[in-house]
Order: sequence, then C-alpha cells, then structure tokens
Amino acid sequence: MENYSVTDIMAPVSEYTHLPVGSTVFDAVLALEHTQEEYNCTQYKHRAVLIVNNENKIVGKLNHADALCALDPGDEEDFETNDLLRFGFSGEFVRKLHHKRKRSETLSLERICESALSLKVENLMRAATDSECIDHDANLSMAIHQLAEEKLYSLLVTKGDDIIGILRMTDVFSAVYHTMVEFTGTGRES
Amino acid sequence: MKLDQLYKRIIQRVNINLREFSFNAKPFVDGVVSYDQLTQFYGFYGITSHHPLDFEFSHSNLSGSYFLGKCSVINSILYKSDIRGDELKEKGTVYQYGNFSIPLDNYEGMRIENSFLIKTLVHNYSHDPEMPEKFPIYNTIAMHYANIHGAPMDGSFLEPFATVDLTTTNDCIVGSYSYVQVGELNHFRLAPGTVWVRSKGNFNFLYKYPAQQLKKYIEFTAGEAPKGLLIDFIRNYKDDFQRVFETVGNTIPVPVPETSSVDRFAAVDSETTIQDNVLVAQRALLQNAWMGKGANAQENCFIINSRLSANDITAHGAKIINCDLGETVFVGFNSFIRGGTDKRLSIGAGCIIMPHTILDVETSFEIPPAQLVWGLITCAEDLKTNSIPLEKLKETKGNVRLGEMYFEGDGEILLTAFHERILHILEANGAFFDGNDNKGHAQQNQNISYNTIQPYPSGDHEGMYPAIIIKP
Repeated sequence: MENYSVTDIMAPVSEYTHLPVGSTVFDAVLALEHTQEEYNCTQYKHRAVLIVNNENKIVGKLNHADALCALDPGDEEDFETNDLLRFGFSGEFVRKLHHKRKRSETLSLERICESALSLKVENLMRAATDSECIDHDANLSMAIHQLAEEKLYSLLVTKGDDIIGILRMTDVFSAVYHTMVEFTGTGRES
Repeated sequence: MKLDQLYKRIIQRVNINLREFSFNAKPFVDGVVSYDQLTQFYGFYGITSHHPLDFEFSHSNLSGSYFLGKCSVINSILYKSDIRGDELKEKGTVYQYGNFSIPLDNYEGMRIENSFLIKTLVHNYSHDPEMPEKFPIYNTIAMHYANIHGAPMDGSFLEPFATVDLTTTNDCIVGSYSYVQVGELNHFRLAPGTVWVRSKGNFNFLYKYPAQQLKKYIEFTAGEAPKGLLIDFIRNYKDDFQRVFETVGNTIPVPVPETSSVDRFAAVDSETTIQDNVLVAQRALLQNAWMGKGANAQENCFIINSRLSANDITAHGAKIINCDLGETVFVGFNSFIRGGTDKRLSIGAGCIIMPHTILDVETSFEIPPAQLVWGLITCAEDLKTNSIPLEKLKETKGNVRLGEMYFEGDGEILLTAFHERILHILEANGAFFDGNDNKGHAQQNQNISYNTIQPYPSGDHEGMYPAIIIKP
C-alpha cells in the first residue's frame, strides 16, 4: 500500500462536470442526471459534480445524497432530532419519532421539489474542509485512515491551494484488492 | 468591603467552571439580593439530641439562613437558605450502593465553599458512592427556591426553582423550573422547564415545558429579578413569614399532637388542623389546611384551603391551593397545584404528581386515583397527554411519546422507584410512628433549640460573620 500514492489512483478534476457557485439545485440535478446517464452508457465513471467559484477554483463537491438533502432539510429547531440523543434516548426511538412525523406531513413530492428548486448549490455542497481533503503526497494508508475516520466516500486531493483530483472509496478499495491478491498470490477465478 | 470581594470571588469561580458555555453569572445575580438584605438578617442553627452538632462558618455571609446537622460554610454567601442536615449518613452505619456495602467511619458532612445560595434548600445526603461521607457544594450559585437534594455539586448555576435531585453535578447550568434526577450530570446545560428523570439502562423520562407558557409562571433573564406567577404568589405571603421570624418563640395557634412536629419557623393559621405524625417544616405556610395522619409539608411548601389525607407528601417547595387529596398522594418538588376558589381540584388516592408539575385549573377538576401526572395542565384536555394510569405505566416497555413527554425503558421500574421513594419519605418523616417505633422527623424534630448568629454590624467586615466553630 505504501507503494501507492493518492495521485496514482485519483480521478483528475478535469473528468468532472463543473458548476459555478450560484447555480441552483435544479442545475445540479440536471448535471447529476447527465453524469448518471454517462455512467450507465459510457466509460464516464463519476457521479458527482464539482462546484467552482468566480475564479474557477474548486470550492466543493456535490453528489446525489447532497442533492437529496435539499429535499429533506430537517429542522434545526426540531427538539426531537437535535436533543433527544443528548438526553440519552436511543437512536431507534429518535428515528421512530422522525419517521412518524414525516408520515404525518402531507406535502407531495411535487411540492417538496418545488420548494427546493431555487436553493443554491453552495448551501448544499460539501465544502473543501480539512477533513475532506488529503495532500497529493499522502499514501493510501493515510487515505484509508481518513476515509474510515471521517466516514467519507471520497476525498478531495490537494496540491498547495488547489484541488487537483478526487480520491474515491471504490478506487481505494480496488487498490486494496490488488494488494491482497498480490500478497497472497491468488486472484479471482475467471 | 470584604463582602463585596467575596461576592466577586464567587462569581469568578462559577464563571471559570462554566467557561465552556461562555457563561457570565454576573448579570443574572447582580442586584438580585441587595447589600442591605445581606446585612440585616441573622443566621440561626438548630440543636437537637438526634443530630450531630458540628458547624464551621468561615469568611461567609449567612443572612437569614438556617443550619442543622454537620455543616461547614467557607467563603460563601447564603441568603435565607436552609441547610438541613437531618438525613446525613451516620457514623458507624453502612451505606449500600448497588453491590457495594460502604462502611462509614465518620458522620457525613455538608461543605459549602465559594458558593452563593439564595433561598435555596439543601437536604438529604450525598448519593455519590465516591464520597460517601461528604456532601460538597463548591463554586456554585443557586437562585431563588432552588433545591439541592442529595446532590453533590461543583461549578454549577441553578436558575430559580431549579431542582437537582440525587445527582452529582459538575459544571452544569440548570434552567428555571427544571428538575433533574439522573445520577450524574457533567458539562450540561438544561433549558428552562426541563423535567428529566433517568436511570441508565432502566428508564428515561423527559418532559419539556412549552417555553412561552412557562414564562407566565417563571421567567428569568439577565439584568432582571426572577418574575412570574410563582414569584408573585410567594410574595403575597411575605408578611406572614416576617411575623414568624420577628416573633421570639412563635406559638403555633392550633393544637399539635405529641406525635407531630410543626416547626416554629412555619407560618400556620388558626383554621388549620394537624393530626398525628404530621411534619410541617420551617418556611412552610399552612392556611385553612387539614393535615391528615402522616401527611407532611416540607420547606417552602404552601398548603392553602386544602385537605390532605393520610400519608400525603408535599415535597420541598410544592404548593397546594383549593385542593382535596386522597390518601398517599405524592406531590413532587416545586409543583404548583391550584384549583378554583369555589371549583375545587380533587386528586385521587395514590396519585403521583411528578416534581415540577403545574396543575393550574379554574374549573372543577378531578384526577382519578392512581395516576402519574406531569407537566403543564390547565384544562381537562391537557390531562390526556400529561398523565397515565399507574397500571398502564407498569405495563409500558419500550418507547412512548405523549404530548411533550418522551419515555423509553421499563415503566414498571420507574413506578417501583417512585413507590420506594415515597415509602422512604414517609418513613423518614415519621408517618408510620406507632407510639414506640418508627420515629422520624415528625417526632425527632419537636425539640429543637435555635441559636442565632450575627454578622459584623459595620466597618470593612460589615455583613461578614466571624469565624465560628460550634461543637458539643
């Protein structure tokens, strides 16, 4: 594993669709749907879009889950979601209450989508914070630690102040697979 | 001035402990008790043959406060507070905590240090097995009518009418009218009107008062004295207590059976009836109250135009007005139970009114026997979401939400815990005294001598009490 660096297996940012800050959720959904079609029909392998600022610098990443969050924004004032865990109630109880409340809400899917259309991508994207970034010189052991520790599906690979690529969990897993096969001298039977 | 220096020292100690919340106690406390108030009242302590006489007062102000049992007060300001050490663990006994049998080599003692307590009750004994012979209250401010009950405490701020019960508390802010009994609480901020009872692995009960509705009863903000109906209600009876404290050898105006105890610092009118084995503690007020055999009214309780049946418990700070209670009704800490003047409130036998319940109704209202009742109830409709029959509670397993109440765990264990607590309170208060056995506070607190202690009347030490050690 020490033989791999993150730049060996990352996907360069040029492979991704870019959306400027200020784009709406609808723009993001269109872009994501397009990437999904590409994913299914071609060799295009990415299911996220990158958000760039006015200077064309990458400032964040947005995937399907992030877009769905726009449809389920939660309620910061919601005592059940925010506080019950703090008071020692079980996650199961909190989820049960949450589901019950959702069932009682009568908003149609159309209405939910309509209310989310105008939201801006910068409010939903995963910003390029320290915990989401990894230096291009890092090795895969460090990347595995960070993915596991932060429970992330991908990392933004940085070089200086710039983001140069995306390190996806599937690519890391693939590297792990090859290392194990090499180590044991076995492989998938064809 | 020494008193001013002491005040600033306490504020700083509390702020240091609560810095993680960026909390500043000063605007909440400044001016709430005036300098004049701190210098004009005497402190007093009780002497009995049943409790150790072991007091140490040093560099403190003890204005209007009462002490009983083993107690030290160091670098503290205690204003009209009751430090009641008549349930502290005794030397030579064994304290049972879970599977631990802990022998006690000394009497348990309360120690209050770097703290400011305003009209606060400190009672019971330390439930912390790590310090079985110590009941410390350090670096803490407790505002009006707070209860520190069996709860060792460090670095905490208790807002008005807050109760910490049987819970070791470190670096916490407990909001107005909040009640917490969770065993141990660290670095936690409880919003006003939170009622939280938890036994880890057994049950978890949580109720949160609607914030706006609670403000009618109690509101506490920085820069202002506590206000609301509860404060106004108590203020209406200020003169009754002033008479009691100004009169030497206050005489209770009604017959008190030999088996009962009415504290000479209780305010009792001539329309009240006291039956056997009744305990009425200091700072309790009884007007046209009928106290059945074994009933009790603890500190800061008000019982007005009400009839309590046998073995009814009015826990510290509870108020019962225009009510008729069946037998063995438990009314928890700081509860406010009020019926209409002509349309009375009736509470059936065996009911458990949870601590910090507000049951404020103006129409005729009846609570059936054997119910658990909690939270804010102002009409019959509220009872649907704020009560549960005890039989149903007993069968409750898993999780339930009713109105603003959340429960998870085993209802039977919660019910058993309540029943054991009620039994303990009745035993401790002497409700079951039969003429020979089962003596409790009602019998043992009858003969108390009171001595007063007073501060420097002027000069740099004005308001400070001299260092005093009192032993047999």
